[in-house]
Amino acid sequence: MKELKILLILIVIVAIGYWGIEPYAHSVMHGEIKKPDYKYSDLQTTALTTGDPVKGKELFMANCASCHGLKNDGINPGMDKNAAIASFNVVPPDLSNIASIVDHKFLAAFIKNPQEATKNPKFAMPPMAQLSDEDVGHVIAYLSSVAKKDLTGKDITVEACGRCHSIKYQKIQAETPADNLKAYLGKVPPDLSVMGKAKELEYLETFINNPQNGLPGTSMPRLGLTQEATEKVVKYLDEIADPHREQRNKLGVWVLGYLVVMAGLTYAWKRKIWKNLH
Amino acid sequence: MRLMDWLDERLAIRQLIKVMLTEYYVPKNINFLWSFGVLVMLVFAILVVSGIFLLMYYKPDSHLAFDSVNKTIMMDVEYGWLFRHTHAVGASIMFLVLFIHMARGIYYGSFKPPREIVWITGYILFVLMSATAFTGYLLPWGQMSYWAAQTITTLFEKIPFIGPDLVVWIRGNYIVEDATLTRFFALHVVFLPLLLIVFTAIHLYAVRIPGSNNEDGIELTKEEKKHGKGVPFWPVFMAKEFFVMSVFLIFFFYLVFYQYKFAMDPINFTPADYLQTPTHIYPEWYFLAFYEVLRGFFFSQNLGLIAFVLSMFIAAFLPWLDTSPIKSAKHRPIYKILFWIFIADFVFLTILGKLPPTGLYAWLGFFGSLVFFAFFLTLPILSKIEKKKVAGGR
Amino acid sequence: MADEKVSRRDFLLYAMGAWAAVGVGGVLYAMYKTWEPLPEVKAQATVSFDLSTVEPGQIKVVSWRGKPVFVLRRTPDMVQCPDRSVKGEYTVVLGICTHLGCIPNWEADKKIWHCPCHGGEYDACGKNIFGPPPRPLDVPPFKIEGTTIVLGEEGNEYKQMKEKGLTV
Repeated sequence: MKELKILLILIVIVAIGYWGIEPYAHSVMHGEIKKPDYKYSDLQTTALTTGDPVKGKELFMANCASCHGLKNDGINPGMDKNAAIASFNVVPPDLSNIASIVDHKFLAAFIKNPQEATKNPKFAMPPMAQLSDEDVGHVIAYLSSVAKKDLTGKDITVEACGRCHSIKYQKIQAETPADNLKAYLGKVPPDLSVMGKAKELEYLETFINNPQNGLPGTSMPRLGLTQEATEKVVKYLDEIADPHREQRNKLGVWVLGYLVVMAGLTYAWKRKIWKNLH
Repeated sequence: MRLMDWLDERLAIRQLIKVMLTEYYVPKNINFLWSFGVLVMLVFAILVVSGIFLLMYYKPDSHLAFDSVNKTIMMDVEYGWLFRHTHAVGASIMFLVLFIHMARGIYYGSFKPPREIVWITGYILFVLMSATAFTGYLLPWGQMSYWAAQTITTLFEKIPFIGPDLVVWIRGNYIVEDATLTRFFALHVVFLPLLLIVFTAIHLYAVRIPGSNNEDGIELTKEEKKHGKGVPFWPVFMAKEFFVMSVFLIFFFYLVFYQYKFAMDPINFTPADYLQTPTHIYPEWYFLAFYEVLRGFFFSQNLGLIAFVLSMFIAAFLPWLDTSPIKSAKHRPIYKILFWIFIADFVFLTILGKLPPTGLYAWLGFFGSLVFFAFFLTLPILSKIEKKKVAGGR
Repeated sequence: MADEKVSRRDFLLYAMGAWAAVGVGGVLYAMYKTWEPLPEVKAQATVSFDLSTVEPGQIKVVSWRGKPVFVLRRTPDMVQCPDRSVKGEYTVVLGICTHLGCIPNWEADKKIWHCPCHGGEYDACGKNIFGPPPRPLDVPPFKIEGTTIVLGEEGNEYKQMKEKGLTV
């Protein structure tokens, strides 16, 4: 009985200490993580999100193809990669699957005003003022018609993040050279190999949805990912950061089971030995 | 048994077994808190073994360290993650069992004569263990590793006259860099563990001479212990010890597999960047209380530094601060109250150490620090009162 | 009564010891596994190489498991050995002298491999023709996939060669 009382005191002290340095301290430090907003309600735009894909392709060829390629439809960008890097310090993305990854309302607002949509005043793409609200709808309709629908987390991560972020441990190299990124963004974006461990998953989701919520003043642009795409990216980052989780959880059960049996045996032996003592 | 005879002729092994195990008597009136010494040994063994296996893949180089830990060991080596989790959790839990081991000694007066050597060697072991933890923490070369080393080495700047030069000498560079990493590595894997083993041996030898203290703090002769008031170390005492160890290991491996975050801070999964300090930096939990004493004197940096050093070492002088003839808190009502205030204060300081040092927290930290020292400084007065009581009682 | 007590204690002690041995075994197994080659090393266990990139008369050296593999596309004026060839015209051999493990050099004028250590010589098929080497150059395990050879896997052609005892 006395022993149990001492154990209880120990447990209480350790529990108070643990609560103080882990959950409580973290809640004070990080405060509330803002909820992601997948409706992008701050963006007001009159541009449409649907239209005629055939017209859309014509508009695309005339207005977008000088910088952007579209491999799904066999369109190569007008300028080659190195020229693009030299003039923008970043590679313009191939738009093959953009409509599956990015929210359409965001996309419409983005085409009209990239700097406002991304919350990055230095964003490389100029506003497409020459396109009417209907034109934007046609272009988005065209993009939707060619985009693949069943992208994996890895595909989305490479398409949405891979132009600036490397994932070294998965042998994925950022498309844009580090020096140019430094010139464009002010610093080299971090490697994402163990980002799933370095940050809370909730935080990552909010951060991808709107970087300014996580790091006010960061030069990472808001990319306007849909909820599904964001969740897939976060899940992928989580998986690659901790590839042995399943093995760990399985082995843990065995090890703890083994030790429980050991405790039973040692307890029986202790009882046996101490029985004759008074 | 022929082998035993052969060994006995050459090593007097039977005599050794008697002295060390079967005829080494432990008082009967002790509780499982006396098992924590063995638990410290157990955790130390776990740390050494897991450390050796980490060493086989770790690369002590500022360009390679982070990847060797987070990629090679954590992802590529079969069961590498297990050794790293075990090592990280082991380092953290080492201090939990150490603190309990020390608090037991303080509560039952195990630092009092004739056990001062046990207490002093034990305290040296605590300081060495802190140094081992601190040097080891730099090795993964993450953000927390880096900035902990950077800030703690900066403390030496405050030493008059030689400070600034000393810092550069310790780091081997103007900032924490590759040279710092390699020397910390050498200290962490060879020098400090060696010293730990040597002092552990002295510590264990020293406790064999007067024997264990007990709950009542009343010394027992060997004869008393042999006839009813004690039990032989083997098999009787160890029988209980094995059970305590098993239960402890259940707790330990539960943490290793399912609750390792407290020992592996997420911030440390970002590679070290000497141009950017993380938003929140704090030491590992076992240094938080001392760190809070450092911050507690927020109005004077120098005072804080002196208090910090004092807080790390003041407990070593307990045998001379507390000279009361009564050993155990069981028979010292006032001391018992002081002890629990001290424990509560230590937990309080630990929690404060991780909170931002602003406004109310700063003042709380200051008062917490004062209470911390007050415990030690009231002991000489209490000793005087108790001495009088004992003399008057006769 | 007393005897029973002792035996019971012993039984428990033995059970505990045996169970502890199981645990130690588990730990040792994990330790044993940590010494296995890393995934990136295991990935090098098989190497693919496109044979059509070798011009007639040319030699390419492929690194397989850290060892050199000579790939020679023989011309008609060289020694022929259909049994010991890949696709009839390629000599694919481990470039390690069977005498004491040095690496022989190709001497284009004589069309032989000459080992610098003790003067052993091999013809264009890898047969030992002079000096101390006890046997021809070994043929590594291979598999043919179109014009690609995969070193480190045993394909049918290799197995046939092995049955005839020509690989070693």
